[in-house]
Amino acid sequence: MSDLLLLVPFVAVVLLYLLPKRARTAGLWIAFGILALETAAAFIDRFATIDFGLLAPLGKLLGFHLATDGLSELVILCTGLVGMAALLVARRTLEDENEKFLFANLVLVAVVGINGIAMVRDLFSLYVFVEVTAVATFILIAAGRGDHVFEGAWKYIFLSVVASVLMLTSLGFFLLSTGGITLDAARTGLAANAPLAWIAMALFLCGLFVKGAMVPFHGWLADAYTAAPAPVSVFMAGIVTKASGIFALMRIAQSTLGGATPGREILLVVGAVTIVVGAFLSLTQTNFKRMLAYSSISQMGYIVLALGGDLRLGILAAGLHFFNHAISKSQLFANAAAIEKQLGTLDMDEMGGLGARMPVTAGTSAVASLSIAGLPPLAGFWSKLLIVLALWNAKEYAFAAVAILASLVTLAYFLSLQRRVFFGKPLEKWAGAREASVGLLVPAVALALITIALGVGFPFALKILMGGGA
Amino acid sequence: MTIEIPQSFWLYFTFFVLLLVDGLWCMLATRNLVRILIGLEILMKSVTFFLIAAGYLSGRMALAQALVITVIVIEVVVVVVVAGIILGFYRKHDSLDVGNTRRMKG
Repeated sequence: MSDLLLLVPFVAVVLLYLLPKRARTAGLWIAFGILALETAAAFIDRFATIDFGLLAPLGKLLGFHLATDGLSELVILCTGLVGMAALLVARRTLEDENEKFLFANLVLVAVVGINGIAMVRDLFSLYVFVEVTAVATFILIAAGRGDHVFEGAWKYIFLSVVASVLMLTSLGFFLLSTGGITLDAARTGLAANAPLAWIAMALFLCGLFVKGAMVPFHGWLADAYTAAPAPVSVFMAGIVTKASGIFALMRIAQSTLGGATPGREILLVVGAVTIVVGAFLSLTQTNFKRMLAYSSISQMGYIVLALGGDLRLGILAAGLHFFNHAISKSQLFANAAAIEKQLGTLDMDEMGGLGARMPVTAGTSAVASLSIAGLPPLAGFWSKLLIVLALWNAKEYAFAAVAILASLVTLAYFLSLQRRVFFGKPLEKWAGAREASVGLLVPAVALALITIALGVGFPFALKILMGGGA
Repeated sequence: MTIEIPQSFWLYFTFFVLLLVDGLWCMLATRNLVRILIGLEILMKSVTFFLIAAGYLSGRMALAQALVITVIVIEVVVVVVVAGIILGFYRKHDSLDVGNTRRMKG
């Protein structure tokens, strides 16, 4: 099955181009169906053990093989859910049929990359799939109609190339120091304390920090998210940046660093700095999407910080925060798409009192905001609690304090967002504003329901996760 | 398993660093997008060279060969996409000045 996760979206892209021009409107729904299947695949028990061996020849050539575990299933589930939401948003916000077709295709290409990242076990294949995802995303951003699309895409490309150079140099050092590029070989090299192996690891981590927009490499993210068309920012914020930067870090922390001290300290410091800088930059924004982008940077910092804590609990906490943030942030970007479509602007200084005009958008965005800020009983509270516990168990009290204090800043900027956009007296200017169409509300409501359900049913979910050894 | 680093490594390494600095200089010293793309290419070439050298010195030539071929394929795709984006850029702003990519604030 793991090879099907790569082959099905890939073959679908090829087949979609064989469709006659008139039938291309079906492209969006075909992509939707594939992502629905992918979501279902994440729930099939032991689906990792079924392998049709379709990619075996390639594997022999490059020494690459696929394996799934709890973490891969998490990414596959998130990809399915976020991808479906993005496609629904695209259906209502992209105007041209050709644009919709292109969007569906590129999402499928990016899904190939993300599924690959979720399942590979060596550093070179990881790099290849990260690059596949990135190239699809460059085109997605640049194919938009906004004023700044090329600027956003260019900044992403520029830093991505820097990340590629860092990762490939690191692979060279791994070849020299350990003679292999699998995660296990890297682990043996690090355990032997070979200085060259640690240099290689540091370079690879730097590359992933660029991809995951950790401070001080965060410059590209806010511009790329703000410039991208609405459905693209849903998809990017939901899964692309997370899978290609943060998930790769999770995989390396789990199977290569294994709680070794220098690696843990790098993750703790970078995570903490990112949380604080991202949160304070977010406070000063006036553009709806830009504020969400800086909030994303800050929340990615939480995931990286959790990886520096107690290994087992840290991975669990990081995985849960990964899921919660993927759901809530893509929902907030879907809300942003609804507002942009109705008002034609994203400047929060011009908004006010929209709660009365757009009750569903206001309600769902409040759920997502409060969940990310960590208010019980929503899902975000539990993952933040686990992050603090993971740090406490590892005796990193100072970093636990940073995590708690920064979540107050998170609450501050989300309340400021809600107040400026939805609360207050309805403005005369927006007297004609109406609630967005049902097609745009479905993804927002569905994702908000997931957040609430996971929050309320969390004790049961945790039991399943712990039992499954995720 | 640790591999002894032979003396000749430093020769390769020096050349790699020279190419890398060359590429970076090419990217930073100009405001023309096409020249920056050429700089990106030089950077990638330097890394490809380093991978080959690393494979040769560690006796894993077969692995290094597979890696380098894959890297070259990826590079081609990236160049095509980036060149397309530069073309779109030129059509929009009627200029190749990188200053046009510094308009977003915050």
